[in-house]
This record gives sequence, structure tokens and C-alpha cells, in this order.
Amino acid sequence: MTDPDLPITEDDLHAYVDGQLPPGRRPEIERYLAANPETGRRIAAYQDQRMALRAALAGVSEPLPPKLDLTQILQERRRPRAGMWRIAAGLVLALGIGGAGGWFLHGPATPNRTTLALSLLEQQALATHTVFAADRRHPIEVGAAEEAHLRQWLSNRLGRTVVPPDLTAAGYHLIGGRLLATEHGAAAALFMYDDAAGKRLSLLLRPMSTDLRVPLTDIGQGDMKGCIWIEKGMGYAAVAALPDTELDRIAGHIRAELGTG
Amino acid sequence: MTGLMASMEACIPALRRYARSLLHDRQDADDLVHDCLVRALDQIHTRREDGDLRAWLFAIMHNLFVSRTRRNKTAGRTVSLQEVGEDTLSIRASQDVHMQGRDLLRALDALSEEHRSVLLLVSVEDLSYAEVSQVLGVPIGTVMSRLSRARERLRLMLEGETTPALRRVK
Repeated sequence: MTDPDLPITEDDLHAYVDGQLPPGRRPEIERYLAANPETGRRIAAYQDQRMALRAALAGVSEPLPPKLDLTQILQERRRPRAGMWRIAAGLVLALGIGGAGGWFLHGPATPNRTTLALSLLEQQALATHTVFAADRRHPIEVGAAEEAHLRQWLSNRLGRTVVPPDLTAAGYHLIGGRLLATEHGAAAALFMYDDAAGKRLSLLLRPMSTDLRVPLTDIGQGDMKGCIWIEKGMGYAAVAALPDTELDRIAGHIRAELGTG
Repeated sequence: MTGLMASMEACIPALRRYARSLLHDRQDADDLVHDCLVRALDQIHTRREDGDLRAWLFAIMHNLFVSRTRRNKTAGRTVSLQEVGEDTLSIRASQDVHMQGRDLLRALDALSEEHRSVLLLVSVEDLSYAEVSQVLGVPIGTVMSRLSRARERLRLMLEGETTPALRRVK
């Protein structure tokens, strides 16, 4: 990186102005500029220019107009979609289709379908965690003591093998699980975990269209934070009242355990 | 609001600043930022998780700007600096650098859009040369030559007295 014989190029001089030089090369450039005063003056002018541009532009910050309010943009985007799934769900119910599992929209995975899937997954995960994690006595239907039964039951209902990941290495123990319903009458599964302090973590598994694939995405609402992702026909959501970094760590364990990482 | 949303929100002032350097009208600039945010939310799942969010947003905005400019090429008209009112000037200096800033910003406006983009992304927005190359969709060598020419032209304009951009129109 810092071969002393390396010739000094115009690009190096700009990198010097912008602080983008490879480590250790700076003294060489400074020696060169001292030895070549004309270039030195030109580079000094570039440095002044850079500072003046920043001083003139970087300070300008005005209040955001409503149309640039992200929360508002998000709401505008979600509203029509929420309406769309209600219509679609209504059709599914009316026609008696949309059996176990599966996703009611078909065709190639467009950004809108992906956004819709993520939005449904997020809403269900946050709502489910809010209701069941707060329930001290009955957060689950089948306890970890009957784990074999829990697996069998949920696998039967979801129409695919469902296994609660072992999160002992992450400091979380399985309390048990329960069956959930989706908006369009399909089955989803919830596993509940807690740590030594009794802090709860919920993991939602919801069958989705096999062509959807979404990497780890953050969700959250107040203190409740979560990560969601979609892989191999299954949507996953891990939710807990934990800092983002902690959740990322746990999500890493979950993905490794499930083989979806 | 999730962490990602908060990070995106933090980029909005920089996006507005850059949009105003591309488009001379503040309203147009904010429209461009709005469209950029909508598109970013649509495409958020396609973003590489390890990539820099700011560079990604700048790239989306730049692509929107390019396709819009291409579309409007026939209908568009060039507004000369003298026609532009002080309050619609693309970029406004803060008070304390007003005098020095005004000359500088006029000179900046006199640069070609290609040169101005590179100069601002590098000098003001602190993107790396590699990120600028991604944002603008040009090779890094092109970024460096544009940067070099932009800086030299700006220097000559500010040091010289009879550059076209600063000459008074009678």
C-alpha cells in the first residue's frame, strides 16, 4: 500500500484533499507538495474549495415539508395495500379457495407482493407478540415438555415440517408453542422462548409463497423490536423487547439453527 | 419507526441538498426527493445489507433524475442564472458565508451537471470515490477525471475575473 517508490498521481492529490488516501501515504504526499510549491498552491486551493462548499451548503437545513415525512409516505403506501388484501381475502373466503398454507397471490414476486407479504408478516408478528408474550400464565398451548407432540401437531397443521430452533446457545429456552390463524384462514405457528431473567422472545413461522425471498429486515414499534425474513416458502419473525444488536445476534442463531442463514 | 427508517430519515437533508444542486427549482427538487423515498421503500428488500444506505439512496435519486431529464429533454428549457430569483437559486448559503458563498455557488452553478454532481458527492456528502462511481454509474476513472476538472474549473473561475459565468450581462 505504501511503497515509497510509487509515483504520485493526480488521483492521489485529490484523495489527499478528500482524506481518502490509503493509510500511511499522507506524509509522502506532503513531502511532494512541499517540494513542488506550484502544485502545493493548487492543492491548497482545492482544500479551501472543499471547506467553503461544506460551509456554504452543509449548514442549510430547513424543516421537512409534509410530503417528505417518511412516516406519512409509509402510511400512504400501506393504506391501499391493506385495502387490497381485504378484497383478496374476501374473495378467497367467498370462493372457498386458499387452502392450508400457500399464499393467495400468485405470479412472479414483484416488489409490491414482497412489500405486502412483509407488511402482513410484520403486523401479525407484532400483534401476536403483544398479546401472547404479555400473558404470564398462558403464553402457549403446548409446553416444551411435550416438544415431540408440539412439532407433530404444528407440522400437521402447517403442512410442512416445523421445528422450534434450539436457542440455548443464545441464552433462550423454549417455553412452548401455539397455533395461529392468518387473515386468509391459513395456519401459522408461534414459538415462545424466555431467557434466565424471564424476558420473552417470540418466533412466528408463517407459510408464504415459495418465490418470495427477503433478507433480514428490521421491524419495531416502541420498545418492541423484531427481525423478519422470508426464505424457502416460510416467513419468519423474531420479536422481543431487546436492543437491535441483541436481536440481530439471536436472529443469527435462529437462522443457523433452521438452516436458513 | 425501525432503525432502517430512522437511518433513511437522517439522509433526507443530504438528499434535498443534492437534489437542489441538480434541479434549480426547490419544489422540483423536493418532488425528486419524494419520488426517491417512495422508490427506496419499494425496493428496500433488494438492498445489499452491507451496502451504505446513503450511497444507495443517492443512486436511486440520480437514476430518477437521469430518466426524468431524458424524458423532459424536448420540453425542457434552460434558465440562465440571471433569470433565477434569489430565493429559487438551487442552493443558498447560510448567513455568515454569504459574500464568499455567493461567488462560490455561482461558480458551482456554472459547472456542468456532470462536474457539479461529482464535486458535491465527494466534497460535501463525503461519499467515497467507489460509491460515487456506483451512484453515477460511471467507472471510477471517470469520477476522478470529472473531479479533477471540476476542481480546476472552479478554482480558475474563482481566481480569474472574466469567466463567462461571472460576467455581467448588459
